[in-house]
Amino acid sequence: MAAKLNKEIIALFGSDDSTKVLATVNEHGYPHAAAKPFIRVDDDGNLLYLELVESSRTQKNLVRSIWFDQKVSVSVSGRDGQSWQIKGKPIKTLITGPVFLHHYQDVRERLGDVDLSAVWVIEPEEVINENIQVRHTEEEALHPLFRHLDRLAKIQP
Amino acid sequence: MAVALKLVESNESELDQVLERNPEFPRLVAVKIDAQRRGVHYTEQVLKIVDDSVQMRSPYLFGSRDGEIKDLPESLLLRDGSTILTDPTPLAQDPYLVDLVDGKPALVDEGQFVEFVDFWPKPLYYDKKTSSGIPMSHIISARPQRLNVFQSSYCYFWAEDKGCKFCDIVTHTRQQKDELGVPSRLKPQDISETIAEALKEPGRFTGICLTSGSVIKGQELFDREVDFYIETLQAIGENFSTKKFPSELIASAFNEKQLARLYEQTGLTSYTSDLEVLGEDKFNWICPGKAKYVGYREWKQRLVRAVDIFGRGNVGTGLVGGVELAKPNGFSSEEDALKSTLEEAESLAENGVTTFYIVWVPRPGSYFKDQQNPSLDYFVRLAQGLHNLRVKYKLPIDYNDYRRCGNHPDGDLSRLL
Repeated sequence: MAAKLNKEIIALFGSDDSTKVLATVNEHGYPHAAAKPFIRVDDDGNLLYLELVESSRTQKNLVRSIWFDQKVSVSVSGRDGQSWQIKGKPIKTLITGPVFLHHYQDVRERLGDVDLSAVWVIEPEEVINENIQVRHTEEEALHPLFRHLDRLAKIQP
Repeated sequence: MAVALKLVESNESELDQVLERNPEFPRLVAVKIDAQRRGVHYTEQVLKIVDDSVQMRSPYLFGSRDGEIKDLPESLLLRDGSTILTDPTPLAQDPYLVDLVDGKPALVDEGQFVEFVDFWPKPLYYDKKTSSGIPMSHIISARPQRLNVFQSSYCYFWAEDKGCKFCDIVTHTRQQKDELGVPSRLKPQDISETIAEALKEPGRFTGICLTSGSVIKGQELFDREVDFYIETLQAIGENFSTKKFPSELIASAFNEKQLARLYEQTGLTSYTSDLEVLGEDKFNWICPGKAKYVGYREWKQRLVRAVDIFGRGNVGTGLVGGVELAKPNGFSSEEDALKSTLEEAESLAENGVTTFYIVWVPRPGSYFKDQQNPSLDYFVRLAQGLHNLRVKYKLPIDYNDYRRCGNHPDGDLSRLL
């Protein structure tokens, strides 16, 4: 079931100032997380990841994911503490056609003489707000015992 | 025939059964194999959404399973970016349907949804003509990321009635010439102009493949064929700023002198010479022309010697997978066929030659026209076996992978190498 991305998340993915990390898993179960500046949100609300390197580890892991229905995770964070994690699955990879060709030209205009291997379409399945204040508030509401006593002391150390 | 469908869960099919037996084999690659093995039939309904952006069938070296040249989509792409090279097939032969499901083109089998597919996008140069007035689509045909140059579609083995028994190259050439006016031999100028036009579309192509029938003429066997390829490759090379450009030549088994000429005088980067079937007795029976003029052992040796010139991972041989089971002289069991084929492929891999296969399709213009290709299970295990050899011997297949070719299921598996 696809999850919907809110306006804040879409804006973060659209910003060059945000940090985006794509995490995949290799054949032995080792996670592989790498900063990936070229992740976008398309008109259908899916993430588009532009893979620039044909034989990269991320690319191989994504191929394995689409073949064997494995999940990936994308984190995006902004300068003001905004931080989101999107779990999802690759549903399609484009190696030709108008969307691919558009991004091929776009990425070359931005970076110069680079290549584009594929445009991966990742369908979001779960969206988690990783902003630390939001997470603390959730944690204290759900698990009020999970805190150190000094935080409750009359006299703060 | 049109079948309006909604997305439904599929019942146990042969595809599902094979995947249950081979759980580590990717389902999408198995779907590709099965669509190639059984062919496809486009419903009237799906053809209604085909517009001018879709690449329609263009001249090709080999014919289709229905023996006709019709204005239908060239072929299909799966959602993992892999190519299905398949052709229109009569309904009586139980092909997959390409139909509309939820308004999108999809493979359908026995009324059940299998996979969504995309049509191949038409390259811009397909709407243009060379300065000599020939449609560029008749000069160079496109795959999703590759350009195919079939500069001569006559094979001299056929003149002695020694053509390969699975092949319909000459039958199809005559049909294309008669029905479409496709030239049976291309001129370098037309090829160069078409390449120049294709390169104007950024991101559209990653490789060029040349092939044609065998030409036995010349001072030495195949000299004329080599001359022709050099002339063509040099014409192509005019369009590149580098001496070498990603390219594959699928040709006869040339001697070292001929291979050196090709490598040194052109931008060619990789070389394939198809044994078609592995095992000397099967080769002699199925490929009598190749057997007569070169011979099985010498063909293998020439492949090995080509590695010294083109480098490891840049030399390969293609098989018409499954033809080793043709009747009456082929293997009688799939188990024996698989064992023998993989043993022979290993002897090549040990020497740096990679082996890949296409799915054998008994075509109406070939000697084997009335035969039946093997089971899906066989093709799945053949793909896995050839891939395993590539892993074992650390043999790359960059020049002939899912993108630069797209016609080898075992090569698709190498996306994980």
